[in-house]
Amino acid sequence: MEKNGSTKIDIPETSRERKGKAPLLGGSGPGPGPAEYAKGAGYKKGIAIFDLILRISAAAAALAATATMGTTEQTLPFFTQFFQFQASYDDLPTFTFFVIAMALVSGYLVLSIPFSIVCIARPHALAPRLLLIIFDTLAVTLATSAAGASTAIVYLAHEGNSGANWLAVCQQFTDFCQKTSTAVVAGFSTVVLLIFLVVLSACALRKHY
Amino acid sequence: MKGGALEMGSEVAKKGSAPVNKVAAVVDFFLRIVAIIATLGSAIAMGTTNETLSFFTQFIRFRAKFNDLPMFTFFVVANSIVSAYLVLSLALSIFHIMRTRAHASRILLIFFDTGMLALLTAGASAAAAIVYLAHKGNTRANWFAICQQFNSFCERISGSLIGSFGGIIIFVVLILLSAVTLSRR
Repeated sequence: MEKNGSTKIDIPETSRERKGKAPLLGGSGPGPGPAEYAKGAGYKKGIAIFDLILRISAAAAALAATATMGTTEQTLPFFTQFFQFQASYDDLPTFTFFVIAMALVSGYLVLSIPFSIVCIARPHALAPRLLLIIFDTLAVTLATSAAGASTAIVYLAHEGNSGANWLAVCQQFTDFCQKTSTAVVAGFSTVVLLIFLVVLSACALRKHY
Repeated sequence: MKGGALEMGSEVAKKGSAPVNKVAAVVDFFLRIVAIIATLGSAIAMGTTNETLSFFTQFIRFRAKFNDLPMFTFFVVANSIVSAYLVLSLALSIFHIMRTRAHASRILLIFFDTGMLALLTAGASAAAAIVYLAHKGNTRANWFAICQQFNSFCERISGSLIGSFGGIIIFVVLILLSAVTLSRR
């Protein structure tokens, strides 16, 4: 022990170090050898590249869903005494929620692309991957709730409900109905891609060594 | 002797991370039990709705049940599937308490948890859309707010959403717990 206020403990070379293995302290098992470390990095890099590709496609799908639902507007050339002759997405608050939620999800996905690139550059970094998995899970919830609620309304618009005396408006507004259905399909494909992203991040989080 | 001290040092290092993982696994187990109660309660609350009005008019039906609306049927089915899955995943959760370093099964659990989260959210939000419509109606589509007639039916269907949304939050926490446990040793 030195006398200048600091404590230096000399740890003698163990037999493990003499054999060339990693030291026991600081790990709960044999530490990574350089070969295993590099292999883990290669595997994680592959996952990260796949993650980036999926993220870009999910962002595209979410943007398509937002745009398709946001541009629904149909005015019928005729009118009757009981039916409105104009339908747009903001007539139904569920569709408004869909547009807002999908806009948020697509904005998040676009903003998370740099984080994904960081994960490619630094395969063993934990913090960006944890951040991505947390926000991806929240995005799954938001996107699924928007898509599920809109599916309910689209189904109601197609079929109506005799019990509640709700008439099927799709018989008049065919174009509107088609556009909203397409938007819902795009929303669900975003959800599927986001679920894959969550599972990918989970696969990449584990320590391979 | 010195080797022995080093071995003890590594034991301390190993024990440093294991308690947190074990605590996380136990919390996971209890959260799953709470989620089972929540989703099962929602399914039962929605599934036992049956209101018959004492009067009737020419245009409005005088009986409301959950299977009059297919979205509510989907809600009941989704909640039942999710609570059955949660009961089955309790076994895997107990396995993770005993063996905190099992990675592959944790990834499998995350995969199924995310799928069930999506199913539960879809069912809950579809039912929420219809409950909203039942409360407010929609003048543009000429959809009349049925809650004005069926009061107890409306209260039941609105209340059953709470358990489902609580289950959604629990699922998000479960996925995050598994992810954090995976990233530690």
